[in-house]
Amino acid sequence: MSQDPSPALQSSPEIDTTVSHSARVWDYWLGGKENYPVDREVGDRIAETFPEIVEHARMDRAFLGRAVRHLAGEAGIRQFLDIGTGLPTVDNTHEVAQRVAPESRIVYVDNDPLVLAHARALLTSTPEGATDYIDIDMHHPRDIVKAAERTLDFGRPIAITMLGVLWHIVDDDEAQSVIDQYLDAVPPGSYLAIAHPTIEVTGERMAEAIRQWNKFGKPPGIHRTPQQIAAFFDRLELVEPGVVSCTRWRPEAAPYGEPDEVDLFCAVGRKP
Amino acid sequence: MTDAADAPPDVLRESLVGPTATRMVLGILLRRLRESRNISLERAGEAIRASQSKISRLELGRTGFRLRDVVDLYELYGVTDRAERATLLGLARQANTPGWWHVYSDVVPHWFEAYLGLEQAAGVIRTYEVQFIPGLLQTAEYARAVIRLGHHHCPEPEVERRVALRVHRQEILRRPRPPHLWVVIDEAALRRPIGGAAVMFAQLQHLIDLSELPHVTIQLMPFQAAGHAAAGGPIALLRLPEPELPDMVYLEQLTSALYPERRGDVDYYRDIMNRLATQAERPAATPGILRRILREL
Repeated sequence: MSQDPSPALQSSPEIDTTVSHSARVWDYWLGGKENYPVDREVGDRIAETFPEIVEHARMDRAFLGRAVRHLAGEAGIRQFLDIGTGLPTVDNTHEVAQRVAPESRIVYVDNDPLVLAHARALLTSTPEGATDYIDIDMHHPRDIVKAAERTLDFGRPIAITMLGVLWHIVDDDEAQSVIDQYLDAVPPGSYLAIAHPTIEVTGERMAEAIRQWNKFGKPPGIHRTPQQIAAFFDRLELVEPGVVSCTRWRPEAAPYGEPDEVDLFCAVGRKP
Repeated sequence: MTDAADAPPDVLRESLVGPTATRMVLGILLRRLRESRNISLERAGEAIRASQSKISRLELGRTGFRLRDVVDLYELYGVTDRAERATLLGLARQANTPGWWHVYSDVVPHWFEAYLGLEQAAGVIRTYEVQFIPGLLQTAEYARAVIRLGHHHCPEPEVERRVALRVHRQEILRRPRPPHLWVVIDEAALRRPIGGAAVMFAQLQHLIDLSELPHVTIQLMPFQAAGHAAAGGPIALLRLPEPELPDMVYLEQLTSALYPERRGDVDYYRDIMNRLATQAERPAATPGILRRILREL
């Protein structure tokens, strides 16, 4: 395992239990135990107006599983930069990737002290591969890339995953700039995967859920349209089926026809 | 959040190890069945000729099940599906099979037995230790020295039985699908030469070796980290592989142990463990610190 980043770049190690935090509320919706009363209160409040949120959280994780399996499998990717790790749950990025290819190297990026403590302890690599953890806010791609160079070879393709995190960069130009900086740092043949809340399917109800979140939770977020999500992939070749609801991205074969859509849209793109 | 009732396969995803966790799972299934049929504790108690507190204890997995009671309960709850009945009975049989530690009953005090069962079944074991190296990471020689400290007048054969039990417990770390052991150890436990310098040297070397395992995470709490969250004693927090089962807290004292169960208490100890983990040195720093202490020994 390599060294941790310099102390200057690290966020405060204090766990803040006075305000609900997105990783912990997400953990609550997923049935995890690493959440605090304040997170459960906000989680319940949102689930009251928007009960499907629990299913949305599960479908987001299921998309992560299928996307990483595709990237490690068909696409042959062996290096992953997982931005916005979240609290450990079942089928975390390195577990999915290393099941396909045990030598896969994964760098987890988050700036929530609770997430980092759990990731360092529980998201540990196979002996053949590697995992590392970076404590830097995702708004600082250059610092993150520099720290990730300890573990990843930026001369070879890397898959960047930003699932359920880009919605926290509320300014469109800044979101695009952050994505561009990541994409500039990786070679052709690299991939970007995004999952992002929309109001395509449930309309005003999801919009209200996000308003509730912004009232009580940290950090704030916004929904975007599928067209706006597609624009993030302008420089990239979209992998089939393009920008779709997470449940419709290469779903596993089921006898009941297409799965219902959820208001989280996603896409995977390849840098040409 | 409540899950759909009547979903035994969900709960049985992971294979269960030992009677303690099995009892808890069977208890949860029976509680779900009873609640989905809107049957009171009292009425369920009558069906097995027992009090409502007995049913309550059964549903919490505190006591073993008689097969006849399980049959009477699923009759009362109207479980007709043969597979479901077989699952419930199978669990009841498994829950009544003694764990391997049963043969050590002469050196296992009753207050330790529940912990032992849960430790053997856990998916994640988190512990904080102030005075000693955690039991699951001890060498036999270090364990022997710790046991002699606590049992001055203990005859030699009994000391050896206690050492054997501790070493046997450690086999979970060599299982094909081992639990994740995540410990925070205070520097005091690393500096105090229990059993003498040679024993301590080998013990610290052993810690370095174990810290290389992907499923073992060791974080050290240096003296410089002033005022951390846990006051004095050791804490263990166990998470079973079945997501429905609550985390269990175990607080060992000199002649007994506490298992605080109220949700607020469990939350409190989980928060302490989280704060200790964020304040302690990172896992990656552990081998370097241990080598430095070894040189200073």
